[in-house]
Amino acid sequence: MYDFHAARKRSELLMNIRTHFIGKGYLEVSTPTLSPYLIPEPTIKAFGTRFINEFTGSRDLYLIPSPEIFMKKLLAAGSGSIFQISECFRNSEQLGNIHNPEFTMLEYYTVGADDNDSIGITIEMIERTKPEGTDAPWLKEKPLVITMHEAMWKHAGVDMDKAEDIAYLRKEASRLGLEAAEDESWDDTFNRIFLTYTEPALPKDREVYLTEYPDRIACLARNAEGRPTKKRWEMYIAGMEIANCYDEETDKAETERYFSAEYSRMVKERSGTEDIIPPPDPSFPGLSIPPSSGAAMGLDRLLAAHLGLNCIEPLLLFPLSDMLRQ
Amino acid sequence: MIKAGQIDKGTALLVKGQPFVCIEREFVNPGKGSAFVRLKLKSPATGQVLSETMKSQDNAEDITVEDRDLQYLYNDGENFYFQNTETFDQIDVPMKSFPDYEYFMKEGETYRTTFWEDQVLDITIPSKIVFTVAEAEEAIKGDTVQGATKYVTTETGLRVRVPIFIKQGEKIRVNTETKEYLERVNS
Repeated sequence: MYDFHAARKRSELLMNIRTHFIGKGYLEVSTPTLSPYLIPEPTIKAFGTRFINEFTGSRDLYLIPSPEIFMKKLLAAGSGSIFQISECFRNSEQLGNIHNPEFTMLEYYTVGADDNDSIGITIEMIERTKPEGTDAPWLKEKPLVITMHEAMWKHAGVDMDKAEDIAYLRKEASRLGLEAAEDESWDDTFNRIFLTYTEPALPKDREVYLTEYPDRIACLARNAEGRPTKKRWEMYIAGMEIANCYDEETDKAETERYFSAEYSRMVKERSGTEDIIPPPDPSFPGLSIPPSSGAAMGLDRLLAAHLGLNCIEPLLLFPLSDMLRQ
Repeated sequence: MIKAGQIDKGTALLVKGQPFVCIEREFVNPGKGSAFVRLKLKSPATGQVLSETMKSQDNAEDITVEDRDLQYLYNDGENFYFQNTETFDQIDVPMKSFPDYEYFMKEGETYRTTFWEDQVLDITIPSKIVFTVAEAEEAIKGDTVQGATKYVTTETGLRVRVPIFIKQGEKIRVNTETKEYLERVNS
């Protein structure tokens, strides 16, 4: 019933990652999983709970979907490069396959590095921390670094230079046989094409770093100079999305704009639904974050990739789907 | 109509006028994007599998299906033959629509089937089945390597990799999705 071999490999992977980052001079930190505020992200749904205290008054609290909010406070306070392995929580996601509402995340911030440096940092870390006895074939192949521009052209025939124009993007969606509503947002039409044609066609025999995401997709990564893209990548192994990385936004005004726009979008989309709306952290946009790259990696999925699996459930000793069936 | 986000494994849909059953469903949240759902839909008539990616708020045309319990009689290599034990009607289902089901269904047993009009869209088989080992290779003498395995064949003809201690005539539990050995069953 319990796979103790996988449990041992998980323990080794976590220990190897700790040893690797500590050896490189990163500080391991431990930040809260329960927080009164989060970074506004309309596409991520949080778990909410309540702190009850008859003296100070009760407050809503939220389980973190990632430790980003706290780790960036430490960066701004001069921590230097830091990493953390923590449990993170995402609501409304599917049970099973490569999902579990509670999962183990590795998050690492490298001060003075950019998104490009972070690819090298990540490749080296994955290679050096593999659990003993695992010999996944993908680890022997040279990782592929490909821009979104190249990938969309190669696998969907869409020219991202023209895709700024939503009329062009809609025409392309229709050419590809996809039904996009007339009033569909740019992001949704783009993702419809990306998820149907591009993402499934990415090579599955090696690490794939998909770089230079369109800047129309809002996130806390810096804009590339002279191009309509973000300094951001996502990494895939065997078709599983394993990690993402930003060259972190350091401009306070940009962060403030992001907070305000994304929070408004979340309120608009969630009003009248049962989805909760966690308040944004008011102090966050004012942080002086040093130039740094930040990457987040799903360790359950990385372990699955090392063990040659394409699902994480067999690796969890207590998957939520099993507990709910009892 | 239902929302794509409500489609689950087993949901029957009409795609361009043809019935399809969802055999795989995965939610995807592309980095910083809305929720999408990736579906694999199978046509019971042809065995064709379609991959569809839909936004979870997109509409899909679901169809009303009916469950009926049918007794499995036999197969002739092309069709499975079932009987409705109430009406004694015989129903044939193309084997190519349900690959490997000949290894999982036992003659004379009753299975829950899903009908749309006169067409069988789905046959429910348990996720774990107990089989009798009909044939077992002899374990190689002196093979004491931990975790050593061999192949056995069940009474339905399914070849399964098992630990070397499994003998002919014993019962084993098998995962029907992965065709993997789970455990020995003491009867």
